[in-house]
Amino acid sequence: MKHSGKLISVLVPLVSVMMAFVIGCAIIAILGASPVTALQALWTGAFGTARNISTTLSRATPLIFTSLCACFAYRCGVFNLGGEGQFMMGSIICCYIATRTGLTGLPAILLCLLAGAVFGGLWAMIPGILKVFRGQNEMIISIMLNYVASLFMSVIYTNWLRDGTVPQTAAVPDETRLTRIFGRATTGFLIALVVGALIYYFLFNTSMGFQLRAVGLNMTTAEYNGFAVKKYILLSFIVSGAIAGLGGSAELLGTQYRLISGFASGYGFDGVAMALIGQLHPLATMAVAIFFAALRVGSTAMQTATGVPTSVSDIIQALVIVFTVAGLAMVKLPSFKTALARLHMKKEAA
Amino acid sequence: MDMTFVTNLLLASVHMATPLIFLALAELYSQRAGLVHIGIEGLAAIGSLTGFLVSYISGSPMTGMFLGALMGILVNMIYAYATITLCAEQTVYGMIINIFALALASFIYRVYFGAGASLAQVNLMSTLSSALGITSDNFFVELLLDQTLMVYLAYGLVLFTAVYFNKTKSGLNYKAVGEYPKAAATLGINVIGVKYVASIICGALAGMGGAYLTTCYSTTYVDGNVAGRGFIALAAVIFGRWSAGGVLLACLFFGFCDALQIRLQISGSSMPYQFFQMIPYIATVAVLTLIGAKKAGPKGAGKPYRKEER
Repeated sequence: MKHSGKLISVLVPLVSVMMAFVIGCAIIAILGASPVTALQALWTGAFGTARNISTTLSRATPLIFTSLCACFAYRCGVFNLGGEGQFMMGSIICCYIATRTGLTGLPAILLCLLAGAVFGGLWAMIPGILKVFRGQNEMIISIMLNYVASLFMSVIYTNWLRDGTVPQTAAVPDETRLTRIFGRATTGFLIALVVGALIYYFLFNTSMGFQLRAVGLNMTTAEYNGFAVKKYILLSFIVSGAIAGLGGSAELLGTQYRLISGFASGYGFDGVAMALIGQLHPLATMAVAIFFAALRVGSTAMQTATGVPTSVSDIIQALVIVFTVAGLAMVKLPSFKTALARLHMKKEAA
Repeated sequence: MDMTFVTNLLLASVHMATPLIFLALAELYSQRAGLVHIGIEGLAAIGSLTGFLVSYISGSPMTGMFLGALMGILVNMIYAYATITLCAEQTVYGMIINIFALALASFIYRVYFGAGASLAQVNLMSTLSSALGITSDNFFVELLLDQTLMVYLAYGLVLFTAVYFNKTKSGLNYKAVGEYPKAAATLGINVIGVKYVASIICGALAGMGGAYLTTCYSTTYVDGNVAGRGFIALAAVIFGRWSAGGVLLACLFFGFCDALQIRLQISGSSMPYQFFQMIPYIATVAVLTLIGAKKAGPKGAGKPYRKEER
């Protein structure tokens, strides 16, 4: 039975992806384009050439960070919806260090990454503290702080760190940018992979990780077992925010180079979606992030080839999560389980 | 600080509180049936887009408002089916509705108007005083008469909700579903049915709250125009301790914060305007922090109801 449970947890997202694509193709057909051409363009756009693959990996990098951020907190049973704000706070301090302190090169990069993680963690500490000490709804608080962070970032690029007439900051100097290792993919992608692997190791191979997951599964039981529930909740917030903040730094140093309007917009909620489709497994979550990035990169090529707007990929993404979570809930229903067991018995009888 | 500043501020507060009242009532009806809904923001977004598009095509803001409500119901049926029938986790699914509805709204806008098209504009719903032909800049005339039909509807709904939940049998049954569904079921209340009805009401109100933004407030639609009001409404329900009157006061407070930031922005201060824009969000955090976590909400909220479980 355990075996079939694992199978189902892989099957549900796959079936969901297929269903989402079927609906996506129907929309494309309704818009008057050929779904076959569109899908081909989508595929070549995302994976057709080495350069396109590197673009996909580069687009996946920030998504991996925000999805790991959502994944880590939810493993401890708290819903951190503030990944976007934490990501922004990381990139803001990173922008300051990279463009205003005069530091360049490797020391600047290391300091930027560290400061980004610290700032992201501090920003996430606010909902964490309010949750632990005031019992407050961490979801609303973390979302409110997204808006505050986004407005603060706007102050940064329109006022405080503005460079020139256009509302944007100065670009990160060449020598402080992250090295490109493969096409457009930078060391930022490697950092994302390492962070994912570390989280995986922490959650499943350390006793602290075990306790953190125990808190996430059942806070009351964990409390009775003497686990420091509050400590873990606060810790999960800080670490999760630090992951997002690190991502913000890596994105600024590796891809965007300057803060402008729209930077990181939507990354937080996307991260939550990916973590849920990946069913809170860090490695699966990273795979989902790469898949989402491929959809985005490919959709640009699709738009050029067929005229279908790129936002159709957002619909497909949203449908994947609509179906995945509904599907996962469905297979947990008692009626579904009995039906499955009956099927099993019939097979054995035959 | 002169009198016009104060009166303008108060008038703007009423104006800004109205969409919040719709959204908070949507949340209240959902939670009273045991469904915590963090997807109000998404429902409002799709309602806002539908309201905008329909009044752009038909020229009638009222039709836009009506179809906005209908679209809210439609999208909320996805949430209802997943959380009521499939017993999916409510907070998770509310989040999914946010992601889905926001993507849908922005997609429809893009498909209809194309990329980089000139900014489309619609006519706003007329106010009672302009319909009656009254022009006066007396504060009380403006406050009471210079409002759209939706404002009166919002306050009417608050009154109705207060009476319904406290004075009617049907309302008490409704609340029982949110408090303790199993006991409600043994009394012969159709728990699943009430939850679905709640989702229809919730969808309609949230859609209207969103549509208000494009039929009564702003003549244009931009992605993200709901600007967190769906989440602030959630905070308003907590702040208002799950009662219609409390929710109204909470919405007026948050509406005041919103009006204050707009007024301060145009007051010509040297401070970057974004700091003023932060006011409603920071006020929400501050209010939630101050009231702490007294659990006053429906006890069955957030939990799935499985008929076969005992």
